[in-house]
Amino acid sequence: MDNETRPFEFVIPISYGSTEVFETGRWSFQKPESLLGWAPCEEACPAGNPIPESIHLIEEGQFREALETILLENPFPGTCGRVCYHPCEEECHRKKFDEPVSINDLERFTYDATLDYDPEFSSFPTRDARRIAIIGAGPCGLSCAYFLSLLGHRVTLFEMEEEPGGILRWGIPEYRLPKEVLRKEVERILSLGVEMKTGMEVGTSFPFEDLKGFDALFLSPGARGSRSLGVKGEESKRVWKGIEFLRKMNSGKRIKAGGEVIVIGGGNTAMDVARSARRLGCSVLVAYRRTEAEMPSLPEEIVEAKEEGVRFEFLIQPVEIKETKRGKVRVKFQRLKRGSVNGERKFLSIPVEGGDVTFEADRVFTAIGEEVDFSWLPESLIENKFVKPESRLWDNRMVLAGGDAIHQPRRVVDAISSGKRAAILMDIHFRGFKKEEILSGIKKGDKGGLSMASYLRGLKSGQWEEPKKVVPYEDLNPLFFKPKERLRNEILPPEERLKGFMEVRRGFKSEEARISASRCFSCGHCNFCFNCYYFCPEGVVFFEPDGSRRVDLNHCKGCGTCSKVCPRHVIEMRAVL
Amino acid sequence: MKSFITGNHAVAYGVKLCRTPLIAAYPITPQTAIYEKLSEWEASGELKGIMMRTESEHSAMASCIAASLTGVRTFTATSSQGLALMHEMLHFASGCRVPVVMVNVNRLLAAPWGFWADQLDSLSQRDTGWIQLYCENGQEALDSVIQAYRVAEEVFLPAMISLEAFFVSHAMEPVDIPEQDEVDRFLPPLNLPHRFDVERPGFFVPVVPSELYRDYRHLAQQSMESVKEVAQRVDEAFKKQFGRGYGLGEAVMTEDAELVIVTAGSITSTSRVAVKILREKGYRVGLLKIRYFRPFPREWVQQKLRGKKKIAVIDRNFSLGSGGIFGQELKAALVHSQDHPLIFNYIAGIGGVDVTPETIQDMVLDALKRREPVEESIWIKEG
Repeated sequence: MDNETRPFEFVIPISYGSTEVFETGRWSFQKPESLLGWAPCEEACPAGNPIPESIHLIEEGQFREALETILLENPFPGTCGRVCYHPCEEECHRKKFDEPVSINDLERFTYDATLDYDPEFSSFPTRDARRIAIIGAGPCGLSCAYFLSLLGHRVTLFEMEEEPGGILRWGIPEYRLPKEVLRKEVERILSLGVEMKTGMEVGTSFPFEDLKGFDALFLSPGARGSRSLGVKGEESKRVWKGIEFLRKMNSGKRIKAGGEVIVIGGGNTAMDVARSARRLGCSVLVAYRRTEAEMPSLPEEIVEAKEEGVRFEFLIQPVEIKETKRGKVRVKFQRLKRGSVNGERKFLSIPVEGGDVTFEADRVFTAIGEEVDFSWLPESLIENKFVKPESRLWDNRMVLAGGDAIHQPRRVVDAISSGKRAAILMDIHFRGFKKEEILSGIKKGDKGGLSMASYLRGLKSGQWEEPKKVVPYEDLNPLFFKPKERLRNEILPPEERLKGFMEVRRGFKSEEARISASRCFSCGHCNFCFNCYYFCPEGVVFFEPDGSRRVDLNHCKGCGTCSKVCPRHVIEMRAVL
Repeated sequence: MKSFITGNHAVAYGVKLCRTPLIAAYPITPQTAIYEKLSEWEASGELKGIMMRTESEHSAMASCIAASLTGVRTFTATSSQGLALMHEMLHFASGCRVPVVMVNVNRLLAAPWGFWADQLDSLSQRDTGWIQLYCENGQEALDSVIQAYRVAEEVFLPAMISLEAFFVSHAMEPVDIPEQDEVDRFLPPLNLPHRFDVERPGFFVPVVPSELYRDYRHLAQQSMESVKEVAQRVDEAFKKQFGRGYGLGEAVMTEDAELVIVTAGSITSTSRVAVKILREKGYRVGLLKIRYFRPFPREWVQQKLRGKKKIAVIDRNFSLGSGGIFGQELKAALVHSQDHPLIFNYIAGIGGVDVTPETIQDMVLDALKRREPVEESIWIKEG
């Protein structure tokens, strides 16, 4: 107590001294520990996008920082924000509460909102830079080039087409992915110093052996071949491969598609072909051998195709194609039904006896799947009709492969994922690190992609992070959340869409993006709600100017309130032994 | 202006007139109507203060204490179990010397469960260091709220005003609601000599050595003793301004009385009727109403009962293993008076049982017949 006498102090004791001398923290039997975990969305994202962090930055209105955060893990936010099948939203914990966060739309928003911004990149300073050849400049090869460059290596990209981009450039139509978006994202990758050699086809332009001059190879040739139907009459000039049609269209060539077309297949390529044909004025029928629910295409693609007037026939399979005298083609289909064969649990499409149907059209597009061309590759790199993800050639030279050429889902984001993974694996290899020691700590959950941020932190500090777990829904405290409607992306009306190849989805406006971002639970990531600070009964939680949380453990009694009131399970109580 | 309102609403009017900026409470029957009325006014903007809806009575009292230490007038209302839950904080309030004003609607304590009038809830808190007042009706409750702030704020001790469940809390009576400017004139804004000050951080309730603790207790007792003088002065000022006064208590026809009935709370009103009837029948009976229970107005009681032969203390409460609590207090107050009266302690109205004028007449006739002291309390079981 202070020497100054105050009359009231005769009736009530007041101390002006500090109680800090009482180290009440010694009483505690548990202590709060910061526990950054992975959110389920980022585990689900094959590319390992830093979803909660970037969404938090959007909510704060820091769109440029949001872009930079994503670019650390994925060079294609503008592209993925448009074409990704967003498995992240399937796993979003908010789905258990009301509706998932609009992760895909928000990723696109980070690109759309920062068109005038070119972040500066600095590659990791590597004394021992290596030279790597990448074959194929699709999303996979480009991603590998990007991450290798960020890690300080020198990359030469060989692309057989005249421009890089692969499926993004030649496959996906403009109304889903404007070429301007792709151009900007590819430029950003190439600006890191990647040597781009277009019009170079390995095995044709130069022999494969010429790649011996590189320290490692990455093979990402994509699946450029179209699987054939295997039916009579398929060789007709009126039967086009869907992927060829898309390539022509994306080359800016004028195409006379014909008045009535049949598209055979049910994947994204089939939908791209069908919807593009509608835009060229065709009447379109999609024929698919299974049911609508089993279509591999994105559900929204099917909805939009229907809105645009695409018709569907399910459970039919072509058996014969004939040209008619009037310059048309007639396709005979076998009707199918779903059933099990020999009492097995697996349901198959089985022919309906005597059931067939014939459709006539000006043209038929086939889109039943793509194939990889291995003819140019040494046989030792092939296994079970896929390129091996990892092999060695020429005195133990590292050869990695990714994208559609290896056995993995043929999705853009999976292609990005395998390119990124290969870049990190090569860097680990060049540095002579033990892969097993590093991967568990930089992998997002059990099935997730690799975290470049974690890898770079490890490189800088020499300390490899412990594996972090994905926060389960049960560990969140949803009492702090209120139901909030998921905003819908504005979509061009069907009649407008059919006028050309204008982008269908219009993207979020800033306010919509911030509202959507505010719905994120930020599972496992502190987003500065300050609940721990406000609720701590002892006032021992502090936030430093750099944003880090500090707990004065000398005075923390271990009550656990901070952990209980953390909505996102960022604080866990650990017993003091 | 007179309004026909319940005791609970009379309390709410009293609080509003005192411009109490912070009310922290938790609803409990039969007090809830106070809480509701204040909430209504808060919603309509008539009440300028903040209504804190706390998660328990314990927190309500903690909030009042903390708010009071920032220098604002505070109020809470509770009853029975709620008051029991507050117990720990009641000691803190008096120890921190905060002039919190609380209304407690007397309700029996469980178990068994019930909602009916019984004074044991507040009397169980008699040693917590609070000023305690017992009110006869809604008008007195309203006036006591206003008076209590002035008394509490002069001596820096909290004050608890009790009125009985339903008999007062829910019964409607004509109540004169004073004008706001009159109350403003009577009750100046609170001005604590010391309060929480962010410019000069300090903390209340530090650990103190034994001697200091003893000294603070003694200082508090001196302040509590001074209440008897302060309360009378405040009551006189009130009477002068509003035309109504209650004193530390009230003596009715005691001058020539052979027997004086001693009551607190609503049974006083019933006793007034009983005294009138008995007087008409020729019995010389008087009535002493106890209003202030803490501090207990010992000297006043001694003076009013000097020379009386018998008193009949009616208790709507019972302390197991001892007796009616007002009975005990009367015995303690009179033990050193010369030729003190024979004290008969009647237990009536426990658990909300109705006490009629006839019940009281029977008690008086019983007491008049007795020649010897009775150590035990006498339980009235009629009705």
